[in-house]
Amino acid sequence: MTTNATECLLQLCDEQFQLEDYQSGVPRWCSGCGDNAILAAVQRLCRDEALRPEKTVFVSGIGCSSRFPHYMKTYGFHGIHGRALPVAEGVKMARPDLTVFVNTGDGDCCSIGAAHWIHAIRYNMNLTVFLHDNQIYGLTKKQASPTSPIGTKSNTTPRGSYLEALNPVSVTLGVQNVSFVAQAVDWIPEVLFDIVKAAYHHRGLSFVRIVQRCPEWLPKSFDPWLHDPNRVQILAHANGLHPSAALSRTYKNQLEHDPSNIHRARELAGDSVNIPVGILYRNPEVPCYEDLIRPDLLRTPELTRSVLDSEMDKYTIWP
Amino acid sequence: MEADTQAHVAFFLTGRRTDAEPEPVEGLGLRPALLAGYRDLAALRYDFPLVLTARGGELERVQSLSAIFDEALTRVCTGAGAADAAALRHLGLRLEREIRGLVVGGFRGLLSAAWSAAAAAMESKGEAGPADRLRRLRAAVTVEGELADCDEALPARLVRHAWAAVQSRKAASFQRRLERLVLRLGEILEADFERSEAGRSAARLKASVGGGFAGAFDFDSLSRTLATARPRVAFSESRRRRISDLLATLRSQRFFSAPKSGGADSGVAEKPFEFQFASCGEALASLRGRMPALVALARAIVVAELEIEGLYSEARHDGLFRGFGDNGLDPQDLAAFPDYLVCVNASCLHGDEHAQLLEVLSSGLPIKVLLQIDDILEESPYGEGNLTTGTRSRQVASMAMGLNEVYVLQAPASHLYRFREPILRGLRLAGPALFSVYSGASGATSDLPPYVLAAAALESRAFPAFAYDPSAGPNWASRFTLEANPRLELDWPVQPLVYEDEQHQRVTVDLAFTLVDFVACDRRYARHLARVPRAKWNSHLIPVDEALSRERKGLPDSVPCLWMVDERDVLQRVLADERLLREARRCREMWHSLQELAGVHNSHAEALLARERRAWEARAQQELPAAVPIVTVASAPAPASSSARGVAPAAEANAGPERSPDESYIETQRCSTCNECTNINNKMFAYDSNKQAYIADLDAGTYAQLVEAAESCQVAAIHPGKPRNPREPDLDALQKRAAAFR
Ligand SMILES: Cc1ncc(C[n+]2csc(CCOP(=O)(O)OP(=O)(O)O)c2C)c(N)n1
Ligand code: SF4
Ligand SMILES: [Mg+2]
Repeated sequence: MTTNATECLLQLCDEQFQLEDYQSGVPRWCSGCGDNAILAAVQRLCRDEALRPEKTVFVSGIGCSSRFPHYMKTYGFHGIHGRALPVAEGVKMARPDLTVFVNTGDGDCCSIGAAHWIHAIRYNMNLTVFLHDNQIYGLTKKQASPTSPIGTKSNTTPRGSYLEALNPVSVTLGVQNVSFVAQAVDWIPEVLFDIVKAAYHHRGLSFVRIVQRCPEWLPKSFDPWLHDPNRVQILAHANGLHPSAALSRTYKNQLEHDPSNIHRARELAGDSVNIPVGILYRNPEVPCYEDLIRPDLLRTPELTRSVLDSEMDKYTIWP
Repeated sequence: MEADTQAHVAFFLTGRRTDAEPEPVEGLGLRPALLAGYRDLAALRYDFPLVLTARGGELERVQSLSAIFDEALTRVCTGAGAADAAALRHLGLRLEREIRGLVVGGFRGLLSAAWSAAAAAMESKGEAGPADRLRRLRAAVTVEGELADCDEALPARLVRHAWAAVQSRKAASFQRRLERLVLRLGEILEADFERSEAGRSAARLKASVGGGFAGAFDFDSLSRTLATARPRVAFSESRRRRISDLLATLRSQRFFSAPKSGGADSGVAEKPFEFQFASCGEALASLRGRMPALVALARAIVVAELEIEGLYSEARHDGLFRGFGDNGLDPQDLAAFPDYLVCVNASCLHGDEHAQLLEVLSSGLPIKVLLQIDDILEESPYGEGNLTTGTRSRQVASMAMGLNEVYVLQAPASHLYRFREPILRGLRLAGPALFSVYSGASGATSDLPPYVLAAAALESRAFPAFAYDPSAGPNWASRFTLEANPRLELDWPVQPLVYEDEQHQRVTVDLAFTLVDFVACDRRYARHLARVPRAKWNSHLIPVDEALSRERKGLPDSVPCLWMVDERDVLQRVLADERLLREARRCREMWHSLQELAGVHNSHAEALLARERRAWEARAQQELPAAVPIVTVASAPAPASSSARGVAPAAEANAGPERSPDESYIETQRCSTCNECTNINNKMFAYDSNKQAYIADLDAGTYAQLVEAAESCQVAAIHPGKPRNPREPDLDALQKRAAAFR
């Protein structure tokens, strides 16, 4: 047998990372904020997958949750309110070699950014999207968001909100080309981590709605689910979550759900009594937009120059 | 025994005719009756001629004329307003036939040229119909390329064509990679220059701003300011040299032609290497001669990638790369480079060349060999011994399979079109491949065209088609396939022969097509055959397959006899002598061993099965009380179905240690990292490597803090247990609060 030098090289270059390699600064989130749990799970993912910090990007919009990139010692882009997804798509398009994550709030994604959200699902680029859904605008100190439950009292809805809440999972499952949808809650770290990991491994746009507690503005909002484990329904399947024995002792309400069944996924998403937690839908066959249009051309200086020239020529007045 | 039969038996045993009867077959122009329908190939619709195109996917580069016409006709006939669809179809098929006729008659060239010639011929015969119809048909044919008929040149043409398609795809991806490496390395050098003194000189700064604003800046002071800011990372001279060397290696490589766009600064590139050879020896010699250059290039590519990623460390990598390729390169590394193609004819495969072919195949090197065999019935050099029926060439193919890691494909030329995919697979695979092809072009030895002869060789098992793909799996079942042969499970394929008898009645007989039928196509073996006149036909004449399956004791009372037709398609019966029968038997044996490899009538499996069956019968005999009727086994009770909604929670096993209610602990796995407890006391509570909390030091805080933390924890993962310090104030009240978290 011949050992080949490139193989040795790969081994030599294998690097070991610690959680600290991805930690940057002390989060400014309130204590008890669900964002802390999401941060911990994502940092764990980066370490376990040995993601090279310089090859990893977190893109966000504006909001408490959108401060996420500041706390990751990777590349990051703390963007414009509602525009996390288009920025991330641009990054991916220009640098398909990078691993791109998106952190967006319910206001950021489902309100001002709703149009981008729909189209990002349809484009199905290889991004991992975390929707931090605390059902409120946190950063701006309590205004109702599209996902606030009907009757939510807030600065903009002092008599309680009038509209039924929008269900981000149902919406996502309704868009063409959807390829991965999961739901997690911040208070079950084991499942949160497993879902984050599955989302990262899916090639295509993985959309993870994370039910996130905001102890500051909606402190009691999730208590019914928090205090009654039976109202959290764990979706288990050979091709989905494999809940541990310890977890199963607390969370006994489990359902076998095959993530390839989109109709069943849509039914489950509509459950208003329980929160279904797990991988609702996964279809690895949906093509990624960047694969469909990836240019064969190398971005050489000549190419850039010629494209710029032809753009400039449009404004030239020819004699 | 009647006198007629006696004469027949005598011929069968000795191959000699004593009387005028049976008659010699020389000059009768006989062919096997089953081949009667293949007299006028121009009138048949079949795979040939092929069109070799230069565009499209690798598979589409070889198309059959019939398929091209079918597609074009579907397109025009389903198009709107094609009211004359039937006429169009008729015209199209007529034209296709005309083109096929041209090719059978020797036309060589482009499809478009053949089209024009055929259309002109039809026009002159007044068969072309309205000009517009022909024009519409022409517009629907988008394929263009060289026509290729099934002839002596076909195997090499086809394999070369497919090989070139595979290589050009390889070249494109290699060039893209090379271009990227050169560009990025160039950028590294450029960035280095920009940081150097020369790069920061006033003149350089001025030049980079351009004419428009040249007066707007004070470049001298700009240059001075920049000079004080020393670059943080120094760029070593050795790195600069290494990158320049890499660039030189990458730019001067000759394995692929230089990328088109990168030509500006790539200097005068030398002519790329040649990869097609007419002998294994030459290919091996060239490959060996180029090995150092190849290793250098492969190393340059790996080092360049490291440089670009900024990962190259001299301490770590210098030594490693000094010995790069000393042990030879891995097939996967070689796979990016062009493959060698050797086209040899079996007639040249003597001595050295034969040895070198074996060397090539066993080397694991990326050399693809086409072994073309024009004659599988050549006379044995030992005169009256065995025929060589394909044995010599077949030896090479079977031996190559025995090497385990060679891709082997054997097929007659008539079936190459159907084998496009396996051919491509062999060409794409890393490592050696052998394509053993019988062309059917055996010169003056037969009246049949190469296509018919090649197909007959397959049909008669003289040249079975098979493929062995070492990449397809770990065992013969996944690697070896015999599928392309007709009626795999039989010794000989059986076809119905339909003819009209003296009373003008339609008669159908099932005929096996055996090796003897194939040999009967070859003039050189005419003396082993003899015609039996119609008046002497009797029941002692039996089909060859039947004669083969009979065991003979003493003198035979029946003789093997072929069904053949003469030039006017009149049915004839022809005796074969024992020598041909012996050959057929050998051929059948070889076929059996192929069948076994393919899992058909596997002798091990059959023996095992027979043993099990005997054992089972014996058991059944013992167990069955005489009078009890046999009852079918009741189906096992259905497994207890898991409840429709909900799966049972996972086993309670390994669900974590049982804790005493007095213990103070955190269910770390359930911690949601909310910082509540660590904010209360970050000495008492700490995060583990997954950033989940545990009790780091119980003595670092009070019981009150422990209880407060338990109460603030959103997921109630903190269990305060019993207080450690009995003197802490308010313990009673605290313990009451703690009881909620036991
Ligand atoms: C274009 C624009 N409109 C409005 C705002 C004000 N603004 C800042 S954050 C925010 C809502 C954030 O809510 P969400 O996305 O749910 O994030 P959270 O703070 O809850 O994590 C709004 C409306 C803004 N920054 N930019
Ligand atoms: S206001 Fe709410 S969402 Fe924002 S940091 Fe505090 S708890 Fe988290
Ligand atoms: Mg919010």
